Amino acid sequence: MGFDFSVIRDNLPYLLWGRTAYGEPGGLLLTVIMAICAGVLALAVGIALALAAWRYGGWTRRLLFAWADFIRGIPLLFVIFWLYFLIPALFGGHVPGAVTVIVALAWFSSAAIMYSTLAGLESLSAGQSEAGIASGLSQSQVLWLILLPQAISNLVPSYVGLLVSLIKDTSLAFIVNVPELTTVAEQVNNRSQIYPMEIFLFIGLLYFILCGGLSWAARTPARF
Amino acid sequence: MRGITFDWAGVVTGQPAQWLLSGFLTTVYVTVAGCVLASAVALVVVALRLAPGRVGRYAAGTFVEIFLNTPILVQMLFWYFAAYGLLPRTWRLFINADHPWAVLPVNVIVLAPEFLCAAWGLGLFTAVFLAQELRTGLNAVPKGQTEAAMAQGLSSWQTLRFVLLPQALVNAWQPLVGQYLNLMKLSSLATGIGLAELTSQVRKIESYNAHSLEAFAVGTAIYLALGVAMGRLLLLVGPKRPDRKRSAPPERAGALVVASSARGSDGI
Amino acid sequence: MGTTPAIEFRKICKSYGQLRVLRDIDLKVAPGQVMAVCGPSGSGKSTLLRLVNRLESISTGEILIDGVPTAGFRGRKLQQLRTEIGFVFQQFNLYANLNAADNVSLALRNVRGVSREKSRARALELLERVGLADKATCFPSQLSGGQQQRVAIARALATDPKVVLFDEPTSALDPEMIGEVLRVMQELPKSGITMMVVTHEMSFARDIADWVIFIDGGAIVEQAAPADFFGAPVHERTRHFLQQILSPLAAAPK
Repeated sequence: MGFDFSVIRDNLPYLLWGRTAYGEPGGLLLTVIMAICAGVLALAVGIALALAAWRYGGWTRRLLFAWADFIRGIPLLFVIFWLYFLIPALFGGHVPGAVTVIVALAWFSSAAIMYSTLAGLESLSAGQSEAGIASGLSQSQVLWLILLPQAISNLVPSYVGLLVSLIKDTSLAFIVNVPELTTVAEQVNNRSQIYPMEIFLFIGLLYFILCGGLSWAARTPARF
Repeated sequence: MRGITFDWAGVVTGQPAQWLLSGFLTTVYVTVAGCVLASAVALVVVALRLAPGRVGRYAAGTFVEIFLNTPILVQMLFWYFAAYGLLPRTWRLFINADHPWAVLPVNVIVLAPEFLCAAWGLGLFTAVFLAQELRTGLNAVPKGQTEAAMAQGLSSWQTLRFVLLPQALVNAWQPLVGQYLNLMKLSSLATGIGLAELTSQVRKIESYNAHSLEAFAVGTAIYLALGVAMGRLLLLVGPKRPDRKRSAPPERAGALVVASSARGSDGI
Repeated sequence: MGTTPAIEFRKICKSYGQLRVLRDIDLKVAPGQVMAVCGPSGSGKSTLLRLVNRLESISTGEILIDGVPTAGFRGRKLQQLRTEIGFVFQQFNLYANLNAADNVSLALRNVRGVSREKSRARALELLERVGLADKATCFPSQLSGGQQQRVAIARALATDPKVVLFDEPTSALDPEMIGEVLRVMQELPKSGITMMVVTHEMSFARDIADWVIFIDGGAIVEQAAPADFFGAPVHERTRHFLQQILSPLAAAPK
């Protein structure tokens, strides 16, 4: 079985950055952009929700958990479909497909981030917040100054894991024809027809390097 | 916002209802097939990891790393578009031919490339996560158990079979169920290779009579219900602690659903 | 002694890397003898015991069971050897997924190949012997510490070993449960079983043991019959240790 990687060579720029020259980022570049945007958004929302659940407890917490369970109980693909439908309905006009997918990914991942962050906060010993309260700090100050900084550094591996998941999840944009790496690869495959093995092995390799590299970098202890 | 009227009948009766039923059943079948395959492969991976010598561990480790770091969708596309073509021609002809015995209720053809590649892809992918959870469960068994077994003269294999594995399964059952639920949700990606499962059928209804909202709502409800039912069932039939206490109280089956995803598995 | 020792240690040394835990141990345990092993923590006494059934490997030296050197035993031979030596752990280590009867019969069924009915009957007989026949279907988590340890002793006896090793059998028990375990241990020598017991329970050493050895710093410092050992200890270290055990406040440094 002879591999002919010329198809990769011929289409490499397209695979790597799509039609960026025409103002439409695509390929691997779009994958990375989407993952980072979704990650930042998910972190912001997820941590905020975790803080709210921690601070207010009771009904707030239960409501947030119910929302998270609902989001995670349906396939991510469905979240994408829902937003594809709802976002134009709410905001009218045309919203780029990539943006919709980013929002969907962020929304979906924020539930996981909320749970992880909450677990990280709860794993800190009760003595930490007791000491803070005993010295006169308010609940919110304790949270912001004492608990969160400690929890965050414990949570970095978990967050990196979620970023790796996000990179992989961007591939779902294939179903809605957003031109990230998987979609673009399928387009190339459709055009050339006879090199599916080379194409999919190649993008598999790209994802592997990206995800594996991130995971590996997170495992080796960071020196600050 | 424009006035919205809902026409549920357009989705839950007639042709669309048939499609939904067929899609739902296809999802169930491919989930079951995938879960069975995943469990078998996971046991092999764990056995390789525990086998003496380095070859088994390297093989298992490589397999795990590859499948963890590539998207499930890309894997499915690979199996369907690239690997399937490598099967011997006679096999492919056999699969493509009509086989009345390979058709499950309601007209779901099991011996078809789409179904086989979806089940295969889902199974292999999930096997990796199952193996990880099982490994964690094994590590949580106290070392004293192994020492007692060794002191009594049991071999490594006997220790694993009678003492370690039963306890590991009890430890890991909730996360394992979470992974099975994941597989069910990931089956929605098989729409990308043309399997006529629930998600495909929902989109079909959408293009048939433009009832997007109703169709998506019904699809969402079905996935949620399936998840809860599957979770409850698996917890019920799964190994429990010998004194009938659960490892952790499952406040809601939904918690399982979230726990599965919070573990860094993806694309759900 | 004219007969072959049940256990014999010849020039046993054990090191973990640079750390020497046992040095040049020469010891003979006669058949049917009850030997108490005591010493400060870290002295190597548990390690000595664990070398006998190869839970730890020997660095240099030889151990002979019934006159047969066991260093070369591997695989099935080692498994069979282990069924002839009972071991009772400080932390009981009962199989958490099996009830009491199954705990006792597991090795009997799977290493000795005894039939299910026979091993179950034997299990019930042994549980009766340790006073727990009514707990046969209970799981370890449903039993108290003292009950678990008694089941562990029954389990160790299942394969009719001639030698039973006890590694601090009562150290993890609440005081009120120590008595029930010691009572069971007291019955064992009557059936001719050789016992080697690492213990802090001086009452056991005094009343039940035939011979007491004191290990400190990886070497045997003193050994004698209980009357002599407790009545007139020879070495200064032995005296110091006994004082620490028996009247800790008086022995504490000022």
